[in-house]
Amino acid sequence: MQRDKFFKEIENVEHPNEKLIKTHCSYCGMQCGMNLRVNTATNKIIGVEPRYDWPVTVGKMCPKGVTAYQQTNHNDRILRPLIRDDASLKGTKEGFREASWEEAYDLIAEKFGELQQNYGKDSLSVFSGVSMTNEKCYLTGKFARVALGTRYIDYNGRFCMSSAAGGFLRSFGVDRGSTLPWTDIHETDCLFIAGSNTAECHPTSMFRIWNVQERGGYIIVVDPRETPIARRADLHLDLKPGTDLALANGIVHLLIEKGYADEEFIKQHTNGFEETKELVKQFTPEYTSYLTGVAPEKIERAAEIYGKAPNAVVMFARGIEQQHKGVDNVSGYTNMALVTGKIGRPKAGVATFTGQGNGQGGREHGQKSDLLPGYRKITNPQHVQEVCNVWGITPEEMPKAGVSAYEMFELMDQKEIRGLYLLCSNPAVSAPNLNFVRNAMKSLDFMVCADFYLSESAEFADVILPSVTWSEDEGTVTNIEGRIIKINKAQQPLGESKPDWQMQVELAERLGKGENFSHLKTAKDVAEEFRLASKGGSADYYGATWDKIEKQDGVFWPCKDEGDEGTPHMFLDKKFYHPDGKAQICALPYRPPAEEPCEEYPLRLTTGRVVYHYLSGNQTRRIQFLKDMCPEPYVEVHPETAGKYNMEHDERIRLYTRRGEAVYKVKVTEAIRKDTVFVPYHFGHEESINLLTIPALDPKSRMPEFKACAAQMEKLEPKKVL
Amino acid sequence: MKKRLYIELENCIGCRSCLAACTQCGGHEERNRNYVYDVNPHVNRQTMPLMCLHCENPACARSCPAQAIQIHETGAVLSALVEKCIGCQNCTIACPYGIPKFDEEQNLMYKCDLCIDRTKDGIPPMCASVCPSNTLQWLTEEEIEQKQRRHDLDNDKWVTSMPYLEGATNVKVNLPGILQGTEKLF
Repeated sequence: MQRDKFFKEIENVEHPNEKLIKTHCSYCGMQCGMNLRVNTATNKIIGVEPRYDWPVTVGKMCPKGVTAYQQTNHNDRILRPLIRDDASLKGTKEGFREASWEEAYDLIAEKFGELQQNYGKDSLSVFSGVSMTNEKCYLTGKFARVALGTRYIDYNGRFCMSSAAGGFLRSFGVDRGSTLPWTDIHETDCLFIAGSNTAECHPTSMFRIWNVQERGGYIIVVDPRETPIARRADLHLDLKPGTDLALANGIVHLLIEKGYADEEFIKQHTNGFEETKELVKQFTPEYTSYLTGVAPEKIERAAEIYGKAPNAVVMFARGIEQQHKGVDNVSGYTNMALVTGKIGRPKAGVATFTGQGNGQGGREHGQKSDLLPGYRKITNPQHVQEVCNVWGITPEEMPKAGVSAYEMFELMDQKEIRGLYLLCSNPAVSAPNLNFVRNAMKSLDFMVCADFYLSESAEFADVILPSVTWSEDEGTVTNIEGRIIKINKAQQPLGESKPDWQMQVELAERLGKGENFSHLKTAKDVAEEFRLASKGGSADYYGATWDKIEKQDGVFWPCKDEGDEGTPHMFLDKKFYHPDGKAQICALPYRPPAEEPCEEYPLRLTTGRVVYHYLSGNQTRRIQFLKDMCPEPYVEVHPETAGKYNMEHDERIRLYTRRGEAVYKVKVTEAIRKDTVFVPYHFGHEESINLLTIPALDPKSRMPEFKACAAQMEKLEPKKVL
Repeated sequence: MKKRLYIELENCIGCRSCLAACTQCGGHEERNRNYVYDVNPHVNRQTMPLMCLHCENPACARSCPAQAIQIHETGAVLSALVEKCIGCQNCTIACPYGIPKFDEEQNLMYKCDLCIDRTKDGIPPMCASVCPSNTLQWLTEEEIEQKQRRHDLDNDKWVTSMPYLEGATNVKVNLPGILQGTEKLF
């Protein structure tokens, strides 16, 4: 497979009484290759060794990856099912007792049965996540629709990748997160990176990204903060949070005006150019600067560099996607590639930095409220029939489309949803407007949570089912590039914990749906059914067998049959996935953030990650090294702003919005706009910044606007001395 | 082919993966032996690793009254021999970079040994293996010479740091500024 200049033949160190299990990290979409060190006497995972032969990351790992193995045998693991009989203790860690799987399953079947009998099939819901294998993601969709028979299933990708998905579907007619493999990145001439704190969120991309500059290429970064990558970028466009679409339109306007448009490509392979050209005309450098706060010269220079670059890649992440116009931002920046024809060839294209380990695969195979395996639509009768054939149900039995993640909490609040099966997610930290979300979870009649640690969300459950970590099961994951890779099992499940797919099969049997599930006895069985279910869909995994994945160092989808090696580069034939084969250049009117600063709330609050933590922090906050490096959240404030508020570095202050408040330590830094404050979101209970964030949803992707809302801060009252 | 640790300071992103990885080396008793500093945290996000440079004539070893600090044939300056170290901390004081750490409980010094159980066989140390930004690299003499030629601009503004370090070191360092003099592609 691809062996580029970063690849070196290096032998691994194997210690006596140890074996190495080849696998990938449990965390982000980079899915760095790693070897888990397993003690052959105890059969327990005891450490990590680099996986030098993995072509994407050649042994490199971030601090989360290096310490990921510490999750498996951690003291906080839940080892047996837990039941809480006293519902008044919901929202706390208290009151759980250990129970047998039999008792837990019986209780769940009884309570779910009661709720559905009294309030209908759709009184139950499933809230899932994508930090797990394709096999688990696939089966969770089937579990909700076939075993529970509910329409209400959605997942945490709504807080992560849904805007990228929506934007790519509109622009290209297909949603593969990267149009090119990561091994191309260092060979391009210009990287235009918007809303990605790459050095902290996808650190193992950095050796390729820096290499672009070392070769004489350019890095342009769009971010309200001077992140580590922005610090060294050739150009840092320091925009106001939530104004990306204006910047994208402004750059597209300049690309057209300065003659960088590829007219032949536009004519042959795209629709929508004329309307877009007309719409972006108003986004002159001056007007764009007025909206975004970025100096006009910088905007002009960015367009010039991107326009001149022989090859360029437009990249973006949650910074532009977690907005109530996230889908428009994605299509807006994608317009840059389509107008200049810098796509559909090696070293040029568009990519989103996938947040979760299986953020790509997990969104394709039926965990989304309106999707079925293979990226099929639940609203398309043909698609429904195809999946019914695999599942052994009739189209009449297939539930209708449900609602998005945040909207499920609204239905819980309205008592339309009364029961919840939660897995692989921690919305009590990661959802916006947490006061509302936590109350909605508390109001449920019955809640099940499958997790390997007692998360903040598990505190609302009646039953907790102990699941396994990634290292105690096997299956496939689709990484940031769209490459399907294999996670291998390194250890037997700890205690009585079980993989999610096994719990769902066993629960389905309790619920009388054994005929649709009982044949799934291993992860491989699920994989075989899943490949078949994806066959013929736009995300076709049929040809991606485990053997081929092993042999080829992964398989890029689409991969339609045994003879197909997969598709590392998308659109090489310049054929896009819309019915006429053309891509869509989108005319997108600008909208400001849902909540603009005002006299009462004059600051712009934005949120994000730090390098030491992953998502809601349920895993990483338990790892000593990571906890030592970043034990608590903080609020980044520019020194001039801190001065105005008479606040000092390390002082604890109150930060608040229309929805909630929290107390944070001030971190004074010049690496942020004066009108903006930043807080990392990995923390629970009263430290969660999502108590303050706004649930303004994108009309298409239903993504909440985590990245921009209006806030205010004040000094704490000095403690009264008695 | 002899390989050396090479440090490209400009690349550092402050992820501290090198610290986490240090604990994973077989002989390191899960304690890290290197440092990463925020250069000017109130101003920007610049960071830099501070690693043992494995001096050819190491001040730590010279200052050790018990001759506990041995130099391996590869040039790696090893951690103090447990049976010889008297816990005087002379080494930490003598080292121009303050590299040797001190275990108060055991009254013993411990320091970077360049992952000697890896590097003796030419396998990169853990820090350079995992470094996501290529700040820490494990390079042949030839590769280092190439870097040196490329970055030695001879324009009075900036040259590689190598001649300016205290004495000769086995580890080679490039100060921030590697992009200075890079010819842009267009």
